[in-house]
Amino acid sequence: MKKWSVMLVAFVMIAMVAGCTTGANPPGKEGDKSGKEKIVSLNNGNEPTSLDPPIGFDAISYNPLNNLMEGLTRLGKNNEPEAATAEKWEVSSDGKTYTFKIREDAKWSDGKPVTAQDFEYAWKRVADPKTASPAAFLSYFIQGAEEFNTGKGSAQDMKVKAKDDKTLEVTLNSPQKYFLSVISNPVFFPVPKETVEKNKDWAKEANTFVGNGPFKLAEWKHKDQMKMVKNNNYWDAKSVKLDGVVWKMIGDSNTEYQMFQTGELSTSGIPADLSEKLFKEGKAKVEDQSGTYFFRFNVKMKPFQNKNIRKAFSLAVNQEDIVNYVTKNKEKPAHGFVAYGFNDPAGGDFREIGSDLIKPDKEKAKELLQKGMKEEGYDRLPPVTLTYSTGDDTHKKIAEALQEMFKENLGVNVKLASLEANVFSTDQKALKLQFSRSSFLADYADPINFLESFVTDSPMNRTGWGNKEYDKLIASAKKEGDEKKRFEDMHKAEKILIDEAPIFPLYFYNQVYLQNENVTGIVRHPVGYLELKWADVK
Amino acid sequence: MLKYIGKRFISMMITIWVIVTLTFFLMHAIPGSPFNQERNTNDTVRKNLEAHYHLDENLFVQYGIYLKSLLQFDFGPSIKQSSTSVNELLSRGFPISFELGSVALLFSIVSGIALGIFAALRHNGVIDYGAMTLAVIGISVPNFIMATLLIQVVAVDLKLLPVATWASYKHMILPALALSMSPLAIIARLTRSSMLEVLTQDYIRTARAKGLSPFKIVVKHALRNALLPVITILGTLVAAVLTGSFVIEKIFAIPGMGQYFVSSINDRDYPVIMGTTVFYSTLLIFLLFLVDIAYGIIDPRIKLHKKEGE
Repeated sequence: MKKWSVMLVAFVMIAMVAGCTTGANPPGKEGDKSGKEKIVSLNNGNEPTSLDPPIGFDAISYNPLNNLMEGLTRLGKNNEPEAATAEKWEVSSDGKTYTFKIREDAKWSDGKPVTAQDFEYAWKRVADPKTASPAAFLSYFIQGAEEFNTGKGSAQDMKVKAKDDKTLEVTLNSPQKYFLSVISNPVFFPVPKETVEKNKDWAKEANTFVGNGPFKLAEWKHKDQMKMVKNNNYWDAKSVKLDGVVWKMIGDSNTEYQMFQTGELSTSGIPADLSEKLFKEGKAKVEDQSGTYFFRFNVKMKPFQNKNIRKAFSLAVNQEDIVNYVTKNKEKPAHGFVAYGFNDPAGGDFREIGSDLIKPDKEKAKELLQKGMKEEGYDRLPPVTLTYSTGDDTHKKIAEALQEMFKENLGVNVKLASLEANVFSTDQKALKLQFSRSSFLADYADPINFLESFVTDSPMNRTGWGNKEYDKLIASAKKEGDEKKRFEDMHKAEKILIDEAPIFPLYFYNQVYLQNENVTGIVRHPVGYLELKWADVK
Repeated sequence: MLKYIGKRFISMMITIWVIVTLTFFLMHAIPGSPFNQERNTNDTVRKNLEAHYHLDENLFVQYGIYLKSLLQFDFGPSIKQSSTSVNELLSRGFPISFELGSVALLFSIVSGIALGIFAALRHNGVIDYGAMTLAVIGISVPNFIMATLLIQVVAVDLKLLPVATWASYKHMILPALALSMSPLAIIARLTRSSMLEVLTQDYIRTARAKGLSPFKIVVKHALRNALLPVITILGTLVAAVLTGSFVIEKIFAIPGMGQYFVSSINDRDYPVIMGTTVFYSTLLIFLLFLVDIAYGIIDPRIKLHKKEGE
């Protein structure tokens, strides 16, 4: 009896210990190799939804894709569009027609030349309702694209045309200088016409994928990792210093951080609990991201039909306190809706020129609340509920901090409610929420992208608010060819938006990350996707 | 026996149909939609997308379309992973979850039963308490804590094993260990309690009196009976472990199918919700059927077609 019980214990112990010690080789082989072979190891967070440009409209698809392909322009290190697959272009005197000359040496990774026809085919594919591209609205800058997409027009009437193999002519609805920056977006990448027509699943596997970017796809183990190697067919291959890139797909931020610690990853995000510590140690790096965290009032619900009451709530919020004591992630507090990073023709930053449109002011907030209540004939303020979405703890923390601020600065008890993210979004769009959290991330690099959201009945409006003067200013900015005048219109519009207060801004988003000392040259654009063309390993 | 299997097969088919129908309508009853991100979604774009996935049709028409493709074993396209079909997601993910799950199961069954027997034999002794403390820890410590702890100690501090991802057998050890903790504990506790019951039975005393060796008594006489309750739960346990765990797969970045159970619901990715549900329930129903057959083998007193005899 004794003997065999000892054996049992021994077995269990061996089984458990074996679990811990077999294969005691040190990890981080990839890290060691990168010393000789110049390989950067990144985390993409998840499997790309699709590497087909018009389909995978999200960061997990476009971050890798931005390095596998290239549009007519590419954002440079200073975030301005530079000549890429297009060598040069001409703009007609009315600013509406662009004629692009495609480089003679622009080639697909299979060696075939990139042609103007590839671009024409690709851009019409974006607008084609049959493609069902979630990014189709970005093509609406082009004449006839919206009609094609809504089923009222046809592919022939969409004004993008290959004049010959290397010349592409595009006509826009209105002169928009930032069009050159818009077309650096992966939505506007060319696709190899012949390959796509032959095989609709061409973007699904590494061996059928064809690109024209600095890197080519060498291996794709789904939901596991992608390997890219330098593309020698790329026209500017001499600028590409890396031999390869490994993209892992780790969804858990703690695991990502732990892999960075063991050297299995070259860069990493920061787990929320550690941000304070890593900032203190000076390890965390920050880059702007063009987007705003803000709150929406529903102007169709009491008491927020009243402008002064909305304004009172906005003024009771201290943006600095939120970023310093709640999120602790070094975001810039937002005193306007448009983020930093958009220059006017004189070179001034839109946000700085626009200055602080709203600043915390307790006294004024109380005063406006009284005034608003008087206007509406309220003895007591109708109950207010602030709703946030679950899934990200930050939303809850911010909502709780705001609740405290409203109590302290206005003497108002606000109730909190939470909803699952998808339900939250449905209810917000249906104007069922009285007061709710929101975020906006720019799709293209111009203040108009922020401001057009609040045009009356825009699907992004979600407040019930509408203002004729505002609508007029946005419409005029969208048509305006004179940049100076256009920026003036946009400044006026932003002032109305903040003054009327259907929303109030909290902070501007940023990108916080850790990066190995020996990795240089990775560019993170405020609007745009991860850029590895100039990356290097020392 | 053949008649029994035939009957069971028909009832299995009906069960699966009921599950499909219920899931289909329940899932469409949840508010929200797959194209409902916070970002800008233009109305035309949304309509085009809905038309692409037939979501603009009447719900019963959609149900009909779904049943028809299901009969051809086609689960349809994933909406979130737009260029991948659900069949592809499952056929890529399941073998990996299966591999990891088998290792974890094997380890938890063998060690769980061993630990249970051992605790029962040393009832109320130090070893019993030790084993059961271990079991309580296994049940009560959530596996995401266990996983994070294992990574921190074994991979980051001691640098014995890689942190995460799925590349070699070394990458399998930590997740398998984390995954096996709770089934191990369940099996150990169950084995212990039923062993304790069996060991007091008369026929064990008889066996002892006959002078059989302790090994023979435990393994041949006691264990065989004591295993019945363990086998009962094994059906559900195996189905759950083999189809992967959301938490473990996320923490260890394992490309299995476990994550889809949760992420598909968050994304309202209807075809993936259906695909994972149908796959899981089919597997579960089949395993429960196997369990019923196994009863008969382990305990010949249990007759499968008893009802017919009556």
